[in-house]
Amino acid sequence: MATPTDTQEQPSDGPLQRWTQSAIQDPEKVYRALFYAAMVFFLVTTLFPFYWLVVLAVTPEGRLLSGSFLPTVDLFGVSGTFPLPVPKGFNPGAFVTVFEQVPFHLYMLNSFALAVTTTVIVLFVASLAGYVFGRLRFPGRALLMLGILAISYFPPAAFVIPLFQAFAGNAPITVPFTSIPLFTPPRLLNTPGSMVLPFSALFMPLSIFILTTFYGQIPDGLEDAARVEGTTRLGALFRVIMPLSAPGVATAAVLTFIAVYNEYFFSSIMATSPEAAKWSPIVGGILSYQTQYTTQFNLMAAASIVGVLPVVILVIVAQERIVSGLTSGALKE
Amino acid sequence: MSTETGRESRRSGALVSVMRWMENLSDTQYAYLLLIPVFVLLGIVALYPLLRTFELSLFKLSADFSSTTFVGAGNYIELFTGEKNRFLPGGTTFLPDGFSMSAMLNSALVVTVIFAVVSVLFETLIGLGQALILDQDFYGRRWIRAAIIIPWAVPIVIQGMIFFLMFNANVGFLTPPLADLGLLAPTNTLNDTASATFIIIVADIWKTSAFMALLILAGLQSIDRGLYDVAKVAGATKWQQFKLITFPLILPTIGVAVLFRSVQAMRVYGIIDTVSSCTVVPSLSCMVVATFTTREGTSAAIAFVTAAIIGAVVMGLIVWQGEDAI
Repeated sequence: MATPTDTQEQPSDGPLQRWTQSAIQDPEKVYRALFYAAMVFFLVTTLFPFYWLVVLAVTPEGRLLSGSFLPTVDLFGVSGTFPLPVPKGFNPGAFVTVFEQVPFHLYMLNSFALAVTTTVIVLFVASLAGYVFGRLRFPGRALLMLGILAISYFPPAAFVIPLFQAFAGNAPITVPFTSIPLFTPPRLLNTPGSMVLPFSALFMPLSIFILTTFYGQIPDGLEDAARVEGTTRLGALFRVIMPLSAPGVATAAVLTFIAVYNEYFFSSIMATSPEAAKWSPIVGGILSYQTQYTTQFNLMAAASIVGVLPVVILVIVAQERIVSGLTSGALKE
Repeated sequence: MSTETGRESRRSGALVSVMRWMENLSDTQYAYLLLIPVFVLLGIVALYPLLRTFELSLFKLSADFSSTTFVGAGNYIELFTGEKNRFLPGGTTFLPDGFSMSAMLNSALVVTVIFAVVSVLFETLIGLGQALILDQDFYGRRWIRAAIIIPWAVPIVIQGMIFFLMFNANVGFLTPPLADLGLLAPTNTLNDTASATFIIIVADIWKTSAFMALLILAGLQSIDRGLYDVAKVAGATKWQQFKLITFPLILPTIGVAVLFRSVQAMRVYGIIDTVSSCTVVPSLSCMVVATFTTREGTSAAIAFVTAAIIGAVVMGLIVWQGEDAI
């Protein structure tokens, strides 16, 4: 009937075999397949934990402990365990309860206030330093940058004991290695000051390095022109150089904000008890669910989702800034 | 009216003279003037505490907690000989008191080093994979990149909560399958040192691989694309391109990123505190926090040893990289 074609086709040509055949002809195809497989793998591993939070949060409290999250499915007579957890029921009420049990919105407000204050302080101080390191040549420049870099490497644990004692405000601060008293600090524990001060010092070095890079790239002519027009030295920094480096300033701001919002060490120590009235940030809010409402796992998950939303939105909106900041600034470090 | 304008002009007169004084400073003087806020902040929050920690580590609390006596290096000696171990929480030790697996995992120093080495190793490998993907041009790259960065931006306390909920004895669905594989203890998982350490390392890899990926991506994007064209003309396969061009050129970047991350990993505290507890998984920072209100000298000695280890690593980095490190 049909005449055989001269290219010999296999009779039982499954789709897999056909793909393998064409892949041997064109290795580029294998690379593309590998590429997409790796991409899907990374997407699943990074996003799966968030999916698990959603599953837990919408499961009604009464059904949390009964049965497995991995349902048994019956597929053509073969029963097996479905590999992905699915919610047992649907109850979005947890997202309302989460604000009623514990004033979670107040903890988030504390976090925002601390993050914004720290960001403003860091931007101001790091702008001055970035201008100095990026645009001025003076003796000791390399040594000072090295010093700031070295301090940023020290662990917070090396600072916490004296800082806690100082912020408790019980005894006067003495000059180290002597007993000469300097002054008695005010009691700062459970106030924003006890967290904003360490945060500012901890996260300033990264901002200094980012702003040094950006401020150093502004052509000298622009600053000179502003100075000829009669601007003061400081005016040239804040009216010419800073606006021209707006992307760099935004990068430093976003990274500082995220760093403070994520901080754990000082946030959990300087607010001595996890109460919103004592300026405890989200660390205190989430932990109070873990320690006080030990079986309400749906509320823990809902609180985590609410707490993570601001940074997720920030990452999606400002990802270009984050990438450029981490690659330009952090690599310098 | 006239007095008011008079005061106004006098005030601006003072301002003008300050400005004029600033205009006439030399570059060096002006530089140090602008750096005063940095010096003040770092002096109060970093330099003073560091010196004071060292001072505290040289003193010992008396038996009745009323006074302190100078003991010199005594605290450090007792720390390394194991006499301080009785002050550490939950039977943990500073140095391991034997070579068995459980003795090793009971030691804060060993656990911290294991955590840093294992997590940074996997973060580098996964970060390299993620960076190679993000280096390609494809539709929807922006969204994939955001998805990969998001774990890095998750607050530590929420990262801890996620992994606590995944392995919790009541709702954690991941414990039974992984226990079947022999990776985790089937019961009491989060209170078992080996299992909890494993979970904490996985949690850190999940969060921080993206950071590694971004650092490595910067190295990838600085590679001259022309090299790949040459390689293609010469008939090199993709693997050869990676082995002979990409990898050697990003190796310095990876080196800096690895050391930078190791230093950060040595500080681990928050994730341990949320997922498990400091008595189960001892880390150096954990020991400092657990003892600093009661045993100042011990705590300060541990803190200073931690700082010294990190300082040694950083000095190594600076000597190795020279001026490029800055």
